[in-house]
Amino acid sequence: MNEGASVQEFFGIPFNISNDLPGLLAAIIVFFTMLWLSRRIQLKPSGKQNFIEWIIDFTNGIIKSTMPGKEGSKFGLLIFTLFSFIFVSNQLGMMLQVSVNNVSYIKSPTANVMTTMTLAFIVLLTAHFLGVKKFGFKGYFKNTYLSPLPFLLPLSVLEEFTNFLTLALRLYGNIYSGEVLLKLIYEFGKSFGIASFIPAIPLEIIWQGFSVFIGSIQAYVFVTLTMVYISQKVEKE
Amino acid sequence: MGLTFVLGAASGVQWGDMIFYAVLFIVLMALIKHFAWGPVTEMMDKRATKIANDIDSAEESRKKAEEVEQQRLAALKDSHAEASQIVERARKNGEQQKNTIVTGAHSEAQALKETAKQDIERERQDALEGVKNDVAELSLEIASKVISKNLQMNDQKALIDSYIEGLGKQNEVK
Repeated sequence: MNEGASVQEFFGIPFNISNDLPGLLAAIIVFFTMLWLSRRIQLKPSGKQNFIEWIIDFTNGIIKSTMPGKEGSKFGLLIFTLFSFIFVSNQLGMMLQVSVNNVSYIKSPTANVMTTMTLAFIVLLTAHFLGVKKFGFKGYFKNTYLSPLPFLLPLSVLEEFTNFLTLALRLYGNIYSGEVLLKLIYEFGKSFGIASFIPAIPLEIIWQGFSVFIGSIQAYVFVTLTMVYISQKVEKE
Repeated sequence: MGLTFVLGAASGVQWGDMIFYAVLFIVLMALIKHFAWGPVTEMMDKRATKIANDIDSAEESRKKAEEVEQQRLAALKDSHAEASQIVERARKNGEQQKNTIVTGAHSEAQALKETAKQDIERERQDALEGVKNDVAELSLEIASKVISKNLQMNDQKALIDSYIEGLGKQNEVK
């Protein structure tokens, strides 16, 4: 398994190139796909415009289910970007893995815990920031930590950390395990020559199909939970 | 710039990745907003308002059409009544005109008859007068011829003069 990492330091900050490169690739794929889909938009939609509008309707639907009303509409862009980025990231490593010197430079960016933690961090930072912005610091504190019962304060504080960790680790665990199993099947296929190569092909295909499913579900779960956390902070319980 | 190449996860947390992904995500969001999300959602909003407007205007035009239909029906009903009224009036007018014409003709005929009668009467009168004169003259001539044989100029001079005078007067009148 390619557990290597190519770490380089710029200005004393360590960057894991083998983690950053696939993220950049996923972002580029997302951007150019969306750019392509949104060309020549018309009042009467046709072809690819239908597709991008379907995605937008889908992500807006996720928002509506947790935060109905006008307030939720400003999260449309965040959820849309988050969903498309995570979705593409999840599928990337399942289709394409490039390794050089035992270091994989192209894989799922979400199979690295740093990536998912960053995304979860962005989400929760947004949620807390919006909570403070809406209710003021006092109202935010009361709403978030003393809300059902004041003596549950320690649990509420702990909950914020577990929210963050579960959001990040759920995505990371699912995608990472998927990739590990893909690689295991690949190694198995190589191990006994033709005798194991042939049964490995359908196995790999089946697991890839399942990974597509898992990747889609996890992208959906991530953005749904994002909306749940945001709505918890900006709505009075 | 000190470049170090470290293998394995033992090198600690690469917290640069966090910065990288945060920046990447925010840049991606900005780009998508500018190039894809903005125009598409704007178009979707535009469509939503257009559809709402279309529904409203359709409702309005439907109402208007109904109103016009109602007006048309009312006008049709009115026109029926009006038509029968016109026919009635025309008939009345015709009747009246006929009466006037007939009466006029009657009176004209009467007047004509009257004038004709008068004319005839006058003609007759004239003729009578003429005949009377002629008779008088003739009788006078006859009388004068008969009388002249034994008429003495002297004896009957006054009578004859008066007679002649009377004739002259009569002739003058004529």
